[in-house]
Amino acid sequence: MTGVGAGPVLKVFAALVYAFLLSPVLIVIVISFSADSFIVFPPTGLSLQWYGRLFGHPALMAGLQFSLVIAVIVSVLSLALGVPAAYALAKGNFRGREALANLFLAPILLPTLVLGLALLLFFQPLRLTATIPGLVLGHLCVTLPFVVRMMTTAFATLPDEVEAAAATLGAPPWRVAQRVTLPLAMPGLLAAAALSFLLSFDETVISLFLSGPRASTLPVEMVRYVEGRTDPMIAALSVLLIAGTLVIVIAVEKLVGVTRAIGR
Amino acid sequence: MPSLSIQGLTKRYGATVAVDGLSLDVGAGEAVALLGPSGCGKTTTLRMVAGLIEPGDGSIRLDGVDITRQPAYRRGMGYVFQSYALFPHMSVSANVGFGLDERGVGRAERDQRVSQALDLVRLQGLGHRKPKELSGGQQQRVALARALVIKPAVLLLDESLSNLDSKLRDAMRQEIRDIQRALSITTLFVTHDQIEAFTMCDRIAVMEKGRIAQIGSARDIYDDPVSRFVAQFVGRANVLPLTRTGDGLSLAGAPVSVSSVPTGDVDLFIRPQLVKLLAPSEPASGLDRLTGKVTRVSFVGERVEVVVDTAAGRIIVEPPAGTTPPDEGADIGVGWRPADARAFRREDA
Ligand SMILES: Nc1ncnc2c1ncn2[C@@H]1O[C@H](COP(=O)(O)OP(=O)(O)O)[C@@H](O)[C@H]1O
Ligand SMILES: [Mg+2]
Repeated sequence: MTGVGAGPVLKVFAALVYAFLLSPVLIVIVISFSADSFIVFPPTGLSLQWYGRLFGHPALMAGLQFSLVIAVIVSVLSLALGVPAAYALAKGNFRGREALANLFLAPILLPTLVLGLALLLFFQPLRLTATIPGLVLGHLCVTLPFVVRMMTTAFATLPDEVEAAAATLGAPPWRVAQRVTLPLAMPGLLAAAALSFLLSFDETVISLFLSGPRASTLPVEMVRYVEGRTDPMIAALSVLLIAGTLVIVIAVEKLVGVTRAIGR
Repeated sequence: MPSLSIQGLTKRYGATVAVDGLSLDVGAGEAVALLGPSGCGKTTTLRMVAGLIEPGDGSIRLDGVDITRQPAYRRGMGYVFQSYALFPHMSVSANVGFGLDERGVGRAERDQRVSQALDLVRLQGLGHRKPKELSGGQQQRVALARALVIKPAVLLLDESLSNLDSKLRDAMRQEIRDIQRALSITTLFVTHDQIEAFTMCDRIAVMEKGRIAQIGSARDIYDDPVSRFVAQFVGRANVLPLTRTGDGLSLAGAPVSVSSVPTGDVDLFIRPQLVKLLAPSEPASGLDRLTGKVTRVSFVGERVEVVVDTAAGRIIVEPPAGTTPPDEGADIGVGWRPADARAFRREDA
């Protein structure tokens, strides 16, 4: 790929880019173990005190719990609504299929700021702001297009003949879905579930518009916290979030890898 | 085994008519080949019979019962796809047992029938493998076993051998034919390969542009093609332009006779095996004849092929085995019985 001599230069360059990209993360990790009471780098001593305080912080812990609940509901609903829609878009043969596919993808193109404001104006008269249904609906605007897009691709690459074979062998449509289509689409399903979970958990802008005093997601609570002060507690929280995300990504990678291996 | 009856089957895709009023009867236990060039509507026909495509018009009956609007999963037909379409996430046994599960067959009986089916296609002991761990020929057998194990009302095969190499194909032809005969399964077999059609089926339906051009035994179709298309698609033929003379026909000035002659410009068709080589001046009673020069003698496997250039055009002759072929460059005569020649209307080039 590269000539002799270009190799080392390129490697050093790549290493520098990675170092640049990862250095904030590394700094955050170091600060999270700080023994100081405000942010200094490098810290004068190491401790776990900020982790301890984090778990004792009621607003952030409530936000975390609330975010987890929302993310789980959003993932389940995204799959429940997005998977059948994607199947119809990938395999169906009906008028306006193209238009419908574009409609499903449209929210991706909209800045979340606009989406958040629109949802706020729309939800306020319906008394849906600062409620679980309101936030779930708001997050679905973000996750559903992604799930539909991922699963449309996943279904489109499944050969029609495999499903047709199941039908000729006596399987009615729901049995074909259960025994053939869904198992073969499993890697895509897992990835879509993980993605909608992470997108919902991470969603800040829409949540800022739709949250209220007794119903705030973790990112909203974090924004509120850092408005007041900056101390290493937020670094400790960041480290936990990074670790959680990594666990999900690695788990999906492993599962999808395994499913692929036993698949084809 | 039930009989299959197709009447006026039609399928349009926008402006293309994929299948155009096709009618065909397959007797109980009979194997019929749908033979035709690519794009003539064979797959579409087979899929309509299986219930995978909804017909635009026409009817399909199984033992007299109309199944035209019945969904595929109720028809109980065994379909072997060109791509095999095995379930990649299931073992060979699970693939073969799929149709039995859907029929609610108990575990013990299921296992027994799966292993019988695997025996039948000589795949004993490979039940635990995944399809991707098998060769193309083995996958083909799994697809066949999977279709046979449900004791299908009709067996439908779509170009099922075209992905195999030629040696394997020969073996599978025999095997499938033997199984079809032994179980006497009503079979509809789609192919564009005439050897496959000839060796595997009782009757052949030659398809052209969504219709059946001719149906009959291999012999009938080869000896007595009803149209120019059939004569050219099945087997080989010499095609020579005929000219009309006062009351008859001639080939480059030599008078010839042909039994039935359509109106308009016509060509003479004669099979290479039915042309005899004659000495240049040899009188040949009862034969129409031409003279020419041998331009090439080639050995095509076990056959000899002699190419003769005549005033009417190039003629390929396949003399019977054991004849001493003439020398290249020699003057020679060629002749045939008028009863063996056919005349078909010339196509606009
Ligand atoms: N889903 C489809 N949409 C549009 N045209 C089709 C479709 N399926 C088949 N056709 C057309 O119908 C004709 C017959 O196709 P097919 O039955 O697959 O032929 P064969 O199997 O004999 O090669 C072809 O011209 C093909 O292009
Ligand atoms: Mg075809």
